[in-house]
Amino acid sequence: MTDRPQRALRMSYIVASVAGVVFFAMSVGLLGLWPKRVLDAQAKAMGPEYALPLSDSARRGRHVYSREGCAYCHTQQVRYLHADMARFGAPVLAWETRPDTPHLWGTRRIGPDLARAGGTRPQDWQFAHLFSPRAMVPDSVMPPYRALFDGAPRRPRQEARDLVAYLESLGRARELDGPDGEKRAREGCNCPDDAMTQMAFGGTLNAHPARARRSHEAASLPLVNDLPRGQRLFARHCATCHGADGAGDGVGGATLRPRPRNLTEHEYSTARLADVLWNGVFGAAMPAWRDHSPEDRAAMAQAVRALAVPQQEPNLPPHMAELGARTYAANCVQCHGVRGDGDGPAAAELPMAPVSFRRQRPSVAHAIEVLRNGIDGTSMAPWTSRLTDAELLAVADYVRGFYAGALETSPP
Amino acid sequence: MILPDLGRDVAWLSWGRLRYAHTQGILLGWLGNAFLAFLYHGVPILTGRPVTSRKLGLWLFGIWNCAIMAPGWILVLAGISQPLEWAEFPLVVDALVMLALGLAAVQFLPGFFARGVESLYVSSWYIIGALVFTLFAYPMGNLVPEFVAGASGAAFSGLWIHDAIGLFVTPLALAIIYFVIPASTRRPVYSHFLSMLGFWLLFFLYPLNGTHHYIFSVIPMPAQVGAVAASALLGVTVVIVVTNLFLSMRGAGWLPRDPGLRFVAASTLFYLVVSVQGALQAQMAVNQTVHFTDWVVGHSHMAMLGFASFAAAGGLVHAWQRIAWARYNARAIRWAFWLLVVGMVTMFVDLTAAGVVQGLMWQTAAPWIDSIVATRPFWLVRTVSGLILAAGFVSLLLGLTTGPVGAGRREVDRGDGSEPQPVVTPRLASAAAMEAS
Repeated sequence: MTDRPQRALRMSYIVASVAGVVFFAMSVGLLGLWPKRVLDAQAKAMGPEYALPLSDSARRGRHVYSREGCAYCHTQQVRYLHADMARFGAPVLAWETRPDTPHLWGTRRIGPDLARAGGTRPQDWQFAHLFSPRAMVPDSVMPPYRALFDGAPRRPRQEARDLVAYLESLGRARELDGPDGEKRAREGCNCPDDAMTQMAFGGTLNAHPARARRSHEAASLPLVNDLPRGQRLFARHCATCHGADGAGDGVGGATLRPRPRNLTEHEYSTARLADVLWNGVFGAAMPAWRDHSPEDRAAMAQAVRALAVPQQEPNLPPHMAELGARTYAANCVQCHGVRGDGDGPAAAELPMAPVSFRRQRPSVAHAIEVLRNGIDGTSMAPWTSRLTDAELLAVADYVRGFYAGALETSPP
Repeated sequence: MILPDLGRDVAWLSWGRLRYAHTQGILLGWLGNAFLAFLYHGVPILTGRPVTSRKLGLWLFGIWNCAIMAPGWILVLAGISQPLEWAEFPLVVDALVMLALGLAAVQFLPGFFARGVESLYVSSWYIIGALVFTLFAYPMGNLVPEFVAGASGAAFSGLWIHDAIGLFVTPLALAIIYFVIPASTRRPVYSHFLSMLGFWLLFFLYPLNGTHHYIFSVIPMPAQVGAVAASALLGVTVVIVVTNLFLSMRGAGWLPRDPGLRFVAASTLFYLVVSVQGALQAQMAVNQTVHFTDWVVGHSHMAMLGFASFAAAGGLVHAWQRIAWARYNARAIRWAFWLLVVGMVTMFVDLTAAGVVQGLMWQTAAPWIDSIVATRPFWLVRTVSGLILAAGFVSLLLGLTTGPVGAGRREVDRGDGSEPQPVVTPRLASAAAMEAS
């Protein structure tokens, strides 16, 4: 071999080595630095000037979330896809990820995406679920995080509180930013032809099917007569909190405040059940079941109605009815309303909507128990210091009279 | 998945933390150690001279295992970690990894340059590429996302996830494959041109794949489209590489008798499968359904286990057989091969099918939890396949630690490999002669 080809070969390898480094630099530039520039500009143009920062507690919770490897099973990245949007809500915008250092996007979804987890479940549910996931969701495969508690879901350590504070912060910045923020983002983006980015503004911000809404609007349920199916669904999804017989004594419900309803002591109108299954109970741990078909929800409603245990109710003399009406008017109308449909003048101020007696009828015994003890976790206080035993009995009987039963069809 | 309550009261036994330890254990603990071990066999032969220093080697071993793996595992289980996939060890350990990679470069690379680059075999190129570029890529994946927020940080993470496999694992695995094939068939590779073409295309395309981990995210669409295109081209390139490898193995039959070659042949086949699958799943139409599902988990196991671990096992067995004082149990190695093949294929088919089921269910209105319930049987199969794989690795360990001393060497000397007549490449012949002298 002469010297010349040797040199040519050596040159070609040097050229190749330089090219290798250039390839690598190119990948960093094209897929790292350039996207960063675009994303920074986008975040600046579309994000609020002052986004609410994470609280110290949420920041510590974020550390717990990353330390425990939550991101291995939960993504925080609603993609620009209709299937993702239908399940979780609006796709994540660049500015929303600004406080994420390092990011927690994840690459696997065993559990649902959590980018919009904030405001989806109440705190007591989160604690009970972290302590014992299968007590809340029987089919879950999530590991329990007992080390964050002092032995019981009612005794969360600071780390559990921090973690829940973090979960509650997810998606909150954009939610607080409100419609004005969406408008500003849309204008800041100035990209009417960018079909992908436009998807971020379409649809519901948080589409979680279990998220409770304060609305009472719900489509009426189809006529389904399938009690076994309803009972199967009840056993799978509801019994863990409401108990197998519906007495409100399931393991999952033990630490929830308010406690799960004792379904054996109530009659419910179908409209009420349609409402609860569609909207959940805002302010309580009762989730919505919007991810179930109308037929499934109708069957569940049928199963719930079948749980009511008929009781021999006392037959009170007429003067007791009068006493009940007086007592009710003096003490209950503020919240429960003149017609008992839960829309008294103070109702809107309460964190949780008062019961509408038109749509559900407690047994007298249950009503008296509630009047005596109140309902922990709601605005319903004990009335024993204000009302005599006779008044308690009278008003307990009186509220039952509002029930419209099957006649009640439209929302109040 | 099967017993989620296992270890529920012990924080360090919780699934999330074990998962931290798993990824880093495979990448650095198993593959890192196995690759470094093979380099001690391969580099002296490829360069015709010993590695830089025996003492440095002991330091490297000590740092890698006592200062990186042991503390890294302890720290992530104790909850000190960074939440970045394939970069879970905390920053202090990352610094030591950088140090160790630097030492590895000092230990193995000088010989290549002393010999002159014009006479480098393709394995040498891969080794140089891996040791040099991992030094660049490692800090990008491990450090940058700690300082760059959110979506931009994720873009860098995506780059590293693919660089870890593309610039560290793949080149070293291919270096082993390209080494073991001619060394055990005693014939040169089919085409040096194709092997070098493959090398440069891989080093060009692998880093450009990164963003395909975040398709349909807020990361700018042109970057996503570019990564998707690079992924498709990468699939084509791997077909070229694998064609060259299989043509080099021709004559060895479907199931080579030489145990090292047998692992390497399986590795090559798995490499083809995982790369074609990778090119397919990066395409947007497929990705939108299978992303985030067990399909991808199957894909990564095929890559790290089917491709990389089989290559590493092949390299280890090959080198081990050539150590005169080493124990060698041929029966256990045969068992290891078949257990690993059965476990791998079962896991891959199972997870791919599970991914399809999950992906299709997520497209419907079915409640989320239904996809968990539907996956249960797949996870049961996966657990069984995992147990088979574990048995395979135990068997591999037994194969290298039990049996008569020097049994492997005797097997090689008897010529139990596939090719009876030694037709050796001039380059390897001279290297082998040097080793013999």
